[in-house]
Amino acid sequence: MSSSPNDAGLPRLMLPLTRDQARRLCVGDLVMLDGTVAATAGFSTHERMIDALDGKGALPLDLRGGALFHMGSSCRQVDGRWLPNYVNPTTSTRFDAFMPRIIRELGVTSVGGKGGMGAACIAALKEAGCVYFAMPGGASPLLSEGVVERLETGWDDLIEQFRLSRFMLRDFGPVTVAIDAHGNSLYQTLQDQAAGRLPDILAEMEAARRPAGHTASSTAKE
Amino acid sequence: MTAGRLPSPASGALCDRRLEREEALAITYDVVRKAARDLYGWSLKKVPDDTLAALAEARQRESSDISRKTLDFMQAAARAAEREDRHACSDAGFPTYFIRIGTRLTLDGDIRRAFVDGFADLVETIQPPILKFITHPLTLERGYAGRDMPILSFDVLDGAEYMEITCSPKALGSGRWAALKVFSYPKIAEIEEYFMQCVLEAGSQHCPPVVIGVGIGGSFDHAAKMAKRATLRQIGSVHDDPMIRDMEARLLTAVNRTGFGPMGTGGDTTALAVHVDYAHGHGFVPVAICFNCWINRRTSLRIDEDGTVTRLE
Repeated sequence: MSSSPNDAGLPRLMLPLTRDQARRLCVGDLVMLDGTVAATAGFSTHERMIDALDGKGALPLDLRGGALFHMGSSCRQVDGRWLPNYVNPTTSTRFDAFMPRIIRELGVTSVGGKGGMGAACIAALKEAGCVYFAMPGGASPLLSEGVVERLETGWDDLIEQFRLSRFMLRDFGPVTVAIDAHGNSLYQTLQDQAAGRLPDILAEMEAARRPAGHTASSTAKE
Repeated sequence: MTAGRLPSPASGALCDRRLEREEALAITYDVVRKAARDLYGWSLKKVPDDTLAALAEARQRESSDISRKTLDFMQAAARAAEREDRHACSDAGFPTYFIRIGTRLTLDGDIRRAFVDGFADLVETIQPPILKFITHPLTLERGYAGRDMPILSFDVLDGAEYMEITCSPKALGSGRWAALKVFSYPKIAEIEEYFMQCVLEAGSQHCPPVVIGVGIGGSFDHAAKMAKRATLRQIGSVHDDPMIRDMEARLLTAVNRTGFGPMGTGGDTTALAVHVDYAHGHGFVPVAICFNCWINRRTSLRIDEDGTVTRLE
């Protein structure tokens, strides 16, 4: 059971996705997630992942073909299992410098987070057959209900939310396919739309300023 | 703890009376320490009422189906946080406190330390625990305490016999998009265009719908403080200057015309409010802009001179 008001009737997907499943998803699709996902909110964690790809050290968890979420988490131990206190997405663009290689070289089929990813990442998603799921930020009580338990962690010298952690999800979401495997990005679309509207918006602001006659203050004398 | 205060030799009788009053009526370290702990704790598990009302109102106006669903999800999550005593967001950020001290009050003890210790108390006692977010800016090492933590901002309330404290946690999600630019003799159009640049730069990464604070004029530091304080204003409150009221309405309309929508779902609600304040300055005009994410975490309380604590929100 989930108290999410949104999950009724939404398609459910099992993580990790196959590459074909990833390619079938379209930007704007709302889905619920089950299955396993690796997660971290750490910048230093991403640096270590790149080091591992460079042959400097090993990845503590097998990430190949998996799902990797930009998500912070806090867990507690109950009868030998690690149950979630809470999870929440973190801003993915912080990891833009690392993600293209991680996606390509590990063959990741889904990335999750909030705020989207940059152009180089979008190209990597397309090439690898990988989608980006956007999670709602700040809605931790509902999002956390979709996390069953933490299965394992790596790089335990890092603080809890930076460790590479593997979670079991059930009824996690809803999440939005915000970047699909065909190069379509909801973020880019919205940015382009806003940039396209900007000249009109500025003209409307100018028109709104005029009747009030407040522009005189900008000619103040020294 | 009043021993450090020297009575004036010229008016012994008056002083004695005042000392008696101070013994009886003083805001103590212990009261402030507990207030600091409680405020931060409350703020993490409740979305303020004005913000919930604004989300509900936005839901009524919103024309995009997916944005309406997102606003529903947000409201349900906010209610769950309060009802079930859970964190609204996994990122507790760091606490910032705005303290206004009545000039007719007596303070007893180390008030600055009370905030440091109250923050430490919260870290020790809150359930579920908060994660480490206090970050050294150069080494990026993280812990539960640090230099200048929590961030304190003091002001006085002339003639008042109480203290008001507002706590507003700040985290990276919306914190990283704040910006400041210093103009020289700007036209209002330039200021507003800069505002829109900042809005487009942040896009939907700051967890919209946001509350935006704008500080115009004064000095570099003062503009930033005005912007931050403006985000703490109640949504729906109006500025007493009609020129600023007009600007707020204009900027809010403009932000919501961009179409980013709640969490970047492409709808009509990118901001719940734009709050502007200004100060006179010189010909140079700093313009500071900052954002609060949709949970808009904020709590406040009043401490009366007899130590009575009243939660305001």
